[in-house]
Amino acid sequence: MSTRAEVKRMHGTGKKYWQKLGADLKRDKWLYLLLLPGVIYFIVFKYLPMFGIVIAFENYVPFSGVLGSEWVGTKWFNYFFRFPSWVTYLTNTLILSLMNIIFYFPAPIILALLLNEMRSLRYKKLLQTFLYVPHFISIVIVVSITFVMFGPSGIVYKSTEMLLGHPINYMGSPDTFRWMIIGQTVWKETGWGTIIFLAALTNVDTQLYEAAMVDGAGRLRRLWHITLPAIRSTIVLMLILRMGSVLDTGYDHLILMANPLNRKASQTLDVFVYQQGIQQGQFSYASAIGLMKSVVSVTLVVASNKVAHLLGEQGLY
Amino acid sequence: MKKLVSLFLALVMLLSVTSIALADEPFVITVMLPEFPSEVDFAAENNPVLDAIEAASGVRLNVIWGPNSTYGDLLNTTLADSKPPMLIAATDARNPLIINSARAGAFWDLTDYVKDAENYPHLAAGNAQIYNNISVDGRVYGIYRSRVFPRGGVYYRTDIAKQMGFDKEVTTLADLTELAEALAKYSDDTYALNMCSYTAGTISVITVAFGAPNNWGVDENGNIYPAHLSPAYLEGLNWLRHLYEIKGIDPNFAQISTSDWDNIERTGKAFMRFDCLDNAHRQQEWFEKNAGVTELIWQSVGPLAKEDGSITVWPQNAGFNGEILITKTVSEADLPKVVKFLDWCNSDEGATLLNCGVQDATYWLDADGYRITPSAEETEKTNATKMYLHDLNQLGMQVTGNPILPALKLTALRQRYEDLNAILAPYAVLDPCYPLVSETNVAFGTQLSQIISDAAVQYIAGQISEAELRAAWEDWAMQGGDMMTQEYNEAYHAAQN
Repeated sequence: MSTRAEVKRMHGTGKKYWQKLGADLKRDKWLYLLLLPGVIYFIVFKYLPMFGIVIAFENYVPFSGVLGSEWVGTKWFNYFFRFPSWVTYLTNTLILSLMNIIFYFPAPIILALLLNEMRSLRYKKLLQTFLYVPHFISIVIVVSITFVMFGPSGIVYKSTEMLLGHPINYMGSPDTFRWMIIGQTVWKETGWGTIIFLAALTNVDTQLYEAAMVDGAGRLRRLWHITLPAIRSTIVLMLILRMGSVLDTGYDHLILMANPLNRKASQTLDVFVYQQGIQQGQFSYASAIGLMKSVVSVTLVVASNKVAHLLGEQGLY
Repeated sequence: MKKLVSLFLALVMLLSVTSIALADEPFVITVMLPEFPSEVDFAAENNPVLDAIEAASGVRLNVIWGPNSTYGDLLNTTLADSKPPMLIAATDARNPLIINSARAGAFWDLTDYVKDAENYPHLAAGNAQIYNNISVDGRVYGIYRSRVFPRGGVYYRTDIAKQMGFDKEVTTLADLTELAEALAKYSDDTYALNMCSYTAGTISVITVAFGAPNNWGVDENGNIYPAHLSPAYLEGLNWLRHLYEIKGIDPNFAQISTSDWDNIERTGKAFMRFDCLDNAHRQQEWFEKNAGVTELIWQSVGPLAKEDGSITVWPQNAGFNGEILITKTVSEADLPKVVKFLDWCNSDEGATLLNCGVQDATYWLDADGYRITPSAEETEKTNATKMYLHDLNQLGMQVTGNPILPALKLTALRQRYEDLNAILAPYAVLDPCYPLVSETNVAFGTQLSQIISDAAVQYIAGQISEAELRAAWEDWAMQGGDMMTQEYNEAYHAAQN
């Protein structure tokens, strides 16, 4: 744990701090040299592009460049809130995100716990490999498969029609749209998501299990009292990170699944940014909305980290 | 020292040789064009068509192809580049980024060039009204790509109609209803009207036929109003809704991809379509080549009279499809050369090279001197056409309006197509707002038109009632539609004065 208070305690403040830092740099120069490429990567690819945010306050025209474009202040921010449509984009985004947290987020944890209980190591390894495969299937393919199965001539469509007597338009209704998206996400990413939890599970001291077994604890008891507490900090960490992307729904997946019949549910902030930025070429407007999203995301991460601290968890930092 | 001097001299000689070689090189023009089948291996070197263009115009073309399906996205990202291609085909002349970039000076102002009949006779022969339509703040930044007008309309399978007891010429909207109802009864698995997820064309054909304006109308007081507020628009939607109810339209049409549109007709799943009229002869020719059909089974429909006898027609385009822009990658000194090249492209010679290519390499002549394009079975010839000509016709502008020579032999349907365009043209309803710019349209246009078109689709499919349809229109007005109408009105009145 290296909070700012501790850094201060360790290194002092002001001049002393910099002296200490200089000495540290000198002592561990090879280690810091190893760090250098990473730092450069972050500066070049993560920090420098941030100056581009300035176009959110301009009427950016590529030909005039970032410096030459007209400064319009908060025009684009006002634009976004001028008509009530932003409420729809925000609610669609939040509903989809909330459903994602409720239905997708626990899935890899449950799967990881199940995998952890496997007796045969070889079988577990084989199973893991199979579970990772969907992650590597492009979302375009996943949507195509869904169309083949749930579309008007698909097996699922036909069988519901037979069972219920009337068809359910899975691909063309706002009610089913979100469930389809969550379903696809669970199918595609659950296996891959287990990796981090399985890694956390390997850190659990096996002696604890043995001791619990001697005490007569069953599988569920061991799961509840040993396994889950052991990976709790990882779960909290992942949840905090997830909070940072509450407003991110991605656009490719949604655009592939959207059609005129389900558009009520598929218009999210990310889709809007894509339409404005790439399809309409309104780079400034898209940047402004993207910037607002980022501000909210950072706030959410900081806030949830605070909450985690209050609950006695280590949190993100 | 001697060695060094000789080395230096050798270097000087080498440099002078390359500079002479450079002086002999043709003037290279880079151009970005959309391509339709994107898996084509276009030959940049040893290409008889490019060689012929070079020989005739002194310009070596360097073509950058962008797949048509994502061309808009590509165009926007290309314009963000510091050195875009010298020529750009903008398929949508009203794209906000094109307008903003033109205002910022990203393209050369061609207003004076297109009026200079002495130096650029072909460009100057273009239609002044269309130049005005693509202008930004009264300045012309591009050369429009002329297209046959109006092209939009109805075509259907005559053999199926006859089987169902409909055997007369369709001349009124009532006839069209009768035809559609007859086709709908053919079988449970087939549909009368072929619809897919691209609904704008279909809806426009029928609503404008009922008398609705094309996107925007002008009322008796001379004010602009949106098409959906005209009662005829709802009549058109009701027509489609009725056809949907009697199972004349595939219930899942909204999920059918545009790329399946042709196949639905080719597999005999639907018998009528509201789209570009040239598809009628394309489909006929496909059936002749692939299904052994000998008689005429496709027919295009002429003007449709309303009950009061009046006729209104939706033009698929306004006489052009996008424009060719000259970017500032071209230096001021080179600009006249590039404009001269565009002028040459519009000459008869240029039009032939861009649209047909080179005789016996990419097109062939029959005994009567008519141009023939190879059929699908002649793989060698079709491959040569793809490799050397590909979609170079996307650079073709034909602003002079001269026909492309050598002419194709006109089949009965092709002849009818040519005739119909001439017959329908006077009835075409134009969009009065096309040359105007609305800030709200620039910022929210996509979402706003989506509200209208989505509601129309849901209404046709019986998912929402008329009250809910009207509620969607209200929503449109509230979300910026009213603002857009107001802005168009201001711009329209300003342009009138």
